[in-house]
Amino acid sequence: MIDFIDDLNIILPFLYIITFGIYLYDFLKGKKEFTNSKRLFLFITLLLHSIYLITRTIHFGHPPITNVFEIFTVLAFAVSFSYFILELVTDIRGTGPFIIIISILFQVISSTKIEHIVAVNEVLKSNLLGIHVFSALVGYSGITISAVYGFLYLMLYKEIKLNQFGLIFNRLPNLEVLEKLSFYSAIIGFSLLSIAITIGIIWLPKAFPNFSYADPKLIGTSIVWILYGIGILSKLLGRWRGKKVVVLSIVGFIIAILSTMLTNFLSLSFHSFY
Amino acid sequence: MNLLAVSINHRTAPVELREALYVGSAEVVNLINDAKGKLFSEGLILSTCNRTEIYGIPVNKNLSYFDIQNFITEKKSSHKINPEHFQSFLSREAVKHLFRVISGIDSLLIGDNQIFKQVKDSFQISEEMQFAGFLMKRLFDSATIVGKRAITETEISEGAVTVSYAAVQLIEKIFSTLNKKSALVIGAGETGETAAKHLKDRGIGAITITNRTIEKAENLALKLNAKIIPFSNLKDQLSEFDIVLSATSSPELIITKDDIHKAMKKRNFNPLVLMDIAVPRDIDPESKKIDYVFYHDIDSLNIIVEQNLAKRKAEIPKVEKIIEEELNNFFGWYNSLQAAPTIKSLRDYFESIRFEEVEKNKNKFSSGDLEKLDIITKRIINKILHHPTTELRKSAESGEETAESATRLGILRELFGIDNHRPGEEKRP
Repeated sequence: MIDFIDDLNIILPFLYIITFGIYLYDFLKGKKEFTNSKRLFLFITLLLHSIYLITRTIHFGHPPITNVFEIFTVLAFAVSFSYFILELVTDIRGTGPFIIIISILFQVISSTKIEHIVAVNEVLKSNLLGIHVFSALVGYSGITISAVYGFLYLMLYKEIKLNQFGLIFNRLPNLEVLEKLSFYSAIIGFSLLSIAITIGIIWLPKAFPNFSYADPKLIGTSIVWILYGIGILSKLLGRWRGKKVVVLSIVGFIIAILSTMLTNFLSLSFHSFY
Repeated sequence: MNLLAVSINHRTAPVELREALYVGSAEVVNLINDAKGKLFSEGLILSTCNRTEIYGIPVNKNLSYFDIQNFITEKKSSHKINPEHFQSFLSREAVKHLFRVISGIDSLLIGDNQIFKQVKDSFQISEEMQFAGFLMKRLFDSATIVGKRAITETEISEGAVTVSYAAVQLIEKIFSTLNKKSALVIGAGETGETAAKHLKDRGIGAITITNRTIEKAENLALKLNAKIIPFSNLKDQLSEFDIVLSATSSPELIITKDDIHKAMKKRNFNPLVLMDIAVPRDIDPESKKIDYVFYHDIDSLNIIVEQNLAKRKAEIPKVEKIIEEELNNFFGWYNSLQAAPTIKSLRDYFESIRFEEVEKNKNKFSSGDLEKLDIITKRIINKILHHPTTELRKSAESGEETAESATRLGILRELFGIDNHRPGEEKRP
């Protein structure tokens, strides 16, 4: 089974790159020849990725959430899977390349660095950890997608304002739709992050003797959570709209990425397991 | 095929001459009455703002293009129109021209899909007037296929190619659903009306019209089932609209940046689209600097129009390929009509020889053998004729080499001394 897992680990980045290529070709050419096949290809990629995650879990005896590179492959899957669901629900098919490229980044890093870890810290075998990590990852994929749609909103907004009617203008859905996609993704991200934070606050002090509320990752996640909270509330109250909300979403995403990178790679936190 | 076509269009004649030869649907009926049986056995008269065309199968072999040109100019115009203002087509070229017209690639506005309906209507008149016979009906079916294929298989009619439609396309890049939006049209002239109609067609929630002359606004509002507001209330009520479309002939600005800013504050900075399609402009272009204000004038809309026209031009080769395919299908059918009488004559000729020889020699056979002789000789004739018959049909139905197919038929007729009527003559004066 280990050979199969290794093969899939090598194949997955290429599958994401090919899927991205098809989506990008379709976006650039604006033809309808790959309208359905690109979705099928994304489905196959996600199917193989889910098989990879399941076999890995069975073989190593724990879900792939025990270190940052395992988390990256789950994140790559979560981002593209969320996009896949969004594409099915909305039938908006032109934004795929901007989302799938994020999965490529996570999967390439994961595939090159991931190791075979069988023995894991006892604390990481808790069921609460599973819910905590799962909700945090889906929450992060939500805010990732929200930031991507926010970025696309800003690009289209600028093109229309400046009378530049190029690819972005011709291929992207309209501003209102992009704003909605960004906002709904942010709501999903925010809700799941709320769950992750709540579980974290209850469970972490018990699980980690060196737990600290001044932990950089906790502070980073809390800032992201507060920012999204302010943005969503202002939007719902009708005080903020469009640019302001999407800029906040992008800033939140950047802080989330920086906080993850700092805590995990610089080992500043009890939260880093690598 | 002796189908003749004569056309005066935007490439051959200036607008005043095209106008002079424009034929309304009532006049088409009169013209058909005059042409039917005298000039053509069957035909079609098509007239739009950019072209007037006559297609027909002449009753007389000697009918020339000039006769058809004279027919229309004598009926319609006192203008000095000469033969250079016409294009003339025969047979395959005439069919091809009709296919080009219905697919929109011959239109002034490439890909204009209004022409499809106009051709359809013209055929309908011909049919109602019993001017569309066997050939014209088939031609209409083929033309319809070309028109539909051009629309569905290519992007020849995609994108806005008029300023007013480009305005709507742009609005749809900002708002997702127009049915919850309200639009204000300033000016009740032709441009404002066209743009308002486009908005209405796209399902805009509400349209309001305002104009300096209130009567004009009322007339347009009646046509479009729209509301009206007095011109003097324009600035106060500006904030109520999501889309403002201005097309007046005012020499100075009607709406300033300050007016827009005030309206935006009242709207709590909900997006506002300003389409200024007037020349000189009605709305201060500086308004575009305000957040969530999408200001566009005729120049920016023209960028979209030019882009879409270029895209449509790039689709022409695809449409031409469809036209070639359908031309081959049409002439395949037509040539099979030509081949059928020849095949029949050939079979009759062989059968007559067989019958004659059997009759001559029937005394040499017993009555039982005579029956066998009859069966055997018929089988021999069938076997001899099987290959040439199949080949003739195949060659005719392929439709690719009309001239070659005609030559084969001619040689065969000459070799076997068959000479009966063929549908259609190729040579015309």
